[in-house]
Amino acid sequence: MLQKNKTMKEKIRIFLETDLLEKYLLGTTSNEETLQVERYIAMYPEVRNTYIELQENLEIFAKLHAIKTPEGLKEKIQNKIKKGNSSRSKFFKYAIAASFTALLFAGASYFFWNQNQNLQEENVIVNNKIQNLEENMRLQLEDVRNQFIVLNNPKTKRLAVKGNNKAKELKAVAYVNPVKKLSYINVSKLPNLPENQCYQMWAEVNGQMLNLGVIQEASNSEKLMALPYGENAVGYITIEPTGGNSSPTVENIVANISY
Amino acid sequence: MSILLENHIIELLQERNDKAISLLYEHYGDTLYGVAFKVVRDEDLAQDVVQESFVKIWKKSDSYDPTKAKLFTWLFRITRNTAIDKLRSASNKSDKEIQMDVSDVYKLGTEGVIPDLIDVQDNLEKIDSKYQIVLDALFFQGMTQQEASEELDIPLGTIKSRLKIGLRELKKIYGSTMVFAYLLNFIIN
Repeated sequence: MLQKNKTMKEKIRIFLETDLLEKYLLGTTSNEETLQVERYIAMYPEVRNTYIELQENLEIFAKLHAIKTPEGLKEKIQNKIKKGNSSRSKFFKYAIAASFTALLFAGASYFFWNQNQNLQEENVIVNNKIQNLEENMRLQLEDVRNQFIVLNNPKTKRLAVKGNNKAKELKAVAYVNPVKKLSYINVSKLPNLPENQCYQMWAEVNGQMLNLGVIQEASNSEKLMALPYGENAVGYITIEPTGGNSSPTVENIVANISY
Repeated sequence: MSILLENHIIELLQERNDKAISLLYEHYGDTLYGVAFKVVRDEDLAQDVVQESFVKIWKKSDSYDPTKAKLFTWLFRITRNTAIDKLRSASNKSDKEIQMDVSDVYKLGTEGVIPDLIDVQDNLEKIDSKYQIVLDALFFQGMTQQEASEELDIPLGTIKSRLKIGLRELKKIYGSTMVFAYLLNFIIN
């Protein structure tokens, strides 16, 4: 025990003989030295007391050299510190403003992206509509051109069509041009039918029965209906339920045209 | 400085209340200015040092650990290091060598010294100059004991003993006076 005490005292004496404690006091020790000194201060009261004494002496010694500070220095320091504080709060203000702007920008970006997406979809739809219109226009123009050709061509045969007993008043004219292989029919007069019935046009070409659709009311009687062309073709007009039928009702044939 | 006031300032510092800076300046401003002047030996430079040091003290206030050092020790370290840095950059600018001038210890004289401390200055001169030189070199010139030994051409062992005796002498002369002065100061304020 005595031996141990002796070596400890020796250790402390050696430590105090170095200038580590003085260096630590002035804050010039390395990190490693700082840890060593702090360990000695914590472990040995003798070192601790020496350190406290050194601090007190430092303060006394420093006070001996005190000089009256010049006027205005305190205000300068206080202004500098206030400025530092306000620039810090300014920084936060800017940070908040910047975050808000970023959020707004993100929101706006999403909104515009969404808008753009919608507009692109609309654009596709509009383009399709325009294409359909163009196609319709082309078909209609071709139809009108063909009608003109057929009606003006001297080779065109004009066939008068009359209804049978079931529709005596029915009158139609078919135009057939074997050179251009085009045929049209103009239904000029149709007897009135009950609400639930309509006239439908058919054509038998090369042994195949083709549905040409429902004949509109007499209001557009000037309109020519295209007939598919074929050698020895037969056109039929039948009475069908409103909306048309998928195949002709043979017993309801009101007129036929061989062309 | 009374423990009470010291603790109050520490609390204010930890709360980041800038009243702490005002109190620190009132109680340590003159001493720290003196420390800065001792190192840089130029009034304008010393003022810059004090200004920079107080800004550092304010910025680093949350790094101060009262269990590791007294408040003044911490303030002294910051001011001394700022002053040494300032001196280095200033001497780099003018390309001048920093030379330790022993006579500077006495040159400070009475001009610019607080009247209250004049008798302290007188007392300072009562301390044997051989102790003063050592204390000055170690506390203000930024020297280690080894460096002071080489610079002053005094054996290292003598430096150590002069430091210890010098500090003991200080205590003998001022120990009681200082405590009384602080108490008085505290009562008046």
